[in-house]
Amino acid sequence: MFKSILLFGYGTHGKFIAQGLENDGFSVQVVESNEHFYTQAVEDGFKHALKVDVTKDEDLVALNPESYEQLVCVMDDEHLNVFLTLSLRSLFKESYILSISDSIHTTKKLQMAGANKVIDMYEVSANKIHNILNRPIATQLLEEFVVHKNGIGFREYVIPEGSFLHGLMTDDIDLAKYGVLLVGMIDEELGNHFIFITAGLNHKLDSGDTIVCVGKHDELESFEQQITKKEAN
Amino acid sequence: MNKTLLSIALFLHASKRYKKSKKFIHGILTDTNNPYKKYVDITIIFLIITSVFILIYEVKNPVPKWLDTYDIYFVSLIFSIEYLLRLWVHNDISEPIVKEYKEALFLQRAFSPFGVLKEGLVEKIKYMFTPSALIDLLAIFPAYRPLRVLRIFVLFRVLKLLRYTKSINQFTEVLSNKKFELLTLLFLLFFIVMTAGIAIYVMEEKTNPNIESLFDALYWALVTISTVGYGDISPVTPEGRTISILVIISGIAMISFATSVIVSAFSEKLSELKENRIIEQVNKSKSFLLVCGYGQMTKMFFRHYGGEYDNYIILENSLERMEQARKDGYDAIHEDASRYETLNKFNTDHCDITILCLTASDVENIYITLNAKSISKNIKVIARASDSSMLSKFKHAGADHILMPNRVANTMIHTAITQPTMYKAIHAILTGKSVARIDEIRAYECEGIIGKSIDELAFKQAKLLFMGIHRRGEFIFNPLHTEIVQDHDILLVMGREISLDYFKSLYVRGV
Repeated sequence: MFKSILLFGYGTHGKFIAQGLENDGFSVQVVESNEHFYTQAVEDGFKHALKVDVTKDEDLVALNPESYEQLVCVMDDEHLNVFLTLSLRSLFKESYILSISDSIHTTKKLQMAGANKVIDMYEVSANKIHNILNRPIATQLLEEFVVHKNGIGFREYVIPEGSFLHGLMTDDIDLAKYGVLLVGMIDEELGNHFIFITAGLNHKLDSGDTIVCVGKHDELESFEQQITKKEAN
Repeated sequence: MNKTLLSIALFLHASKRYKKSKKFIHGILTDTNNPYKKYVDITIIFLIITSVFILIYEVKNPVPKWLDTYDIYFVSLIFSIEYLLRLWVHNDISEPIVKEYKEALFLQRAFSPFGVLKEGLVEKIKYMFTPSALIDLLAIFPAYRPLRVLRIFVLFRVLKLLRYTKSINQFTEVLSNKKFELLTLLFLLFFIVMTAGIAIYVMEEKTNPNIESLFDALYWALVTISTVGYGDISPVTPEGRTISILVIISGIAMISFATSVIVSAFSEKLSELKENRIIEQVNKSKSFLLVCGYGQMTKMFFRHYGGEYDNYIILENSLERMEQARKDGYDAIHEDASRYETLNKFNTDHCDITILCLTASDVENIYITLNAKSISKNIKVIARASDSSMLSKFKHAGADHILMPNRVANTMIHTAITQPTMYKAIHAILTGKSVARIDEIRAYECEGIIGKSIDELAFKQAKLLFMGIHRRGEFIFNPLHTEIVQDHDILLVMGREISLDYFKSLYVRGV
């Protein structure tokens, strides 16, 4: 579970993300090229933060990005961010790169530069406005679920070998007695697509599949214990 | 006498019903934002058109008795009532009398209502002499059959139509802006016609058999200068023809001058007219969006969802950006949303308005929020804030929802790293791109579910995942299946859009 993240940028976004990840138990390596942000990072407790000129390839290689699970590019300077994404991609073909886009025009450039995932700040915000206008309560609740406010949240589980869930059809599963709801799953056999439980397809669960549930914290916790068991009780 | 007047005034002052009905009548007759006004307008327009048609038809053909009765009694009666109502709602007489009485009591002077009564009546008489009131009055007359000459007043019925057509009002408004130029032109016309008329009269009165009086001469001058040139009167002497030449040349000059004045008046006002049209259009709808600022945020929002919103206006105070918005195909007007006058143009009484404050500046957004809330508490405000330090300020200003693009993006990145599977799901749910989404079912919109227990509702059948109930600000996650749905509950469900529509259709009519 404890993934290692190489985070480029400790500006508007980087600061928040670094702290959030640290709280969740990730090991975060902060890299900054801006003096001010770098000092800020060190002051905030990221003692191992590095000040690196990200435009130099040899400096990037020296960071050994391949040893990290994800490379996250959230530099405040969007030009630098695109350049960094491009450099990383050309140097490390296999790495997983996630970048943020601060403007409409940058998103496409980042995708072309080779980012695996681009999060467009304006796109997600535009979506949010639309959602607030059409379903205000649902939007607010969903957001609270995501940040685990009010004790309710989402949790993903990988079905372990020999679990009682193995071999069950999704339509037959009733998790109500555990106090959690099955939202969807990722079936290894069908590629890595997320399938919503309400999509109308009856799926057979196998060990190794990932399921996503929503529920109260402690109940999610105890459900984790339950799924390793062979028999439903 | 004093006493009777006073008691009537006091009675009217105290009567809520009187005030309410007066306000209502005032609304349907004069307030363009009133949703019922259009029905009154349509009725009157129908009456005018039918009555004019009857009067024209009557010239050559006999009309059935009932049509005549309809025209004489019904139409005229409605018009008279309308006229009297307009006169009634134009101003208030009882209120000033009550005020005068109270002041008299306060100052302990003798109370006499006649001063204020006179003022009120003068005000009414002044109204009676306004062009539109005169037209209204004269439009009642054509029904009086014994005097055939009164039929000419049918013209006033046609003129009355003008009151109900917006474009004519705008036309006169535009022209009144060029009053000075048009008056100069009129004066010039008058001057030339008089000079030319007198000159031709003096030159040809003796020699030209067609010119018998000064009136003939003036008539000739006008016909010539307007380039109509009937030819019934034409100059016969070389002197007269010289005058003709001069009149014709000045006529051409004058017509082109008049045309250019009118055209320039319109082109100056065109953008304003267009903007007013857009505002009027949107004011007629039940609910609409006001989007302040046309920056990246707005562009993105419209690029993704522009098609789903029919009633909206973009307010942008930079001319360049406003034009960009129009170029992109959106309804935008060049206005400053932080000004009271701007937001007050919108129909805040009868429409559900949602304002999106999406400008890049927090100061601007807070100002717009406050401005909107000061006009009406009913206006919903969704404001954009740059960071969390602004949150309390926006809350204080009264924003209903606060959007922080930075925070939204940060949360998404955080989720994308920590819960990649969830990210896919949440992203799909949020963008609505996927087959499933989380949505809400409002009990008051779907009355059939009220009073039923969760078990009785056909979530399974509609292939919906029921997640919980939002009740009085609290969310009950996965409640017991025996829980009864109450009046103002909002049910949170997940599923495909068709499932949701199907579920709603099952219960919407209280089945």
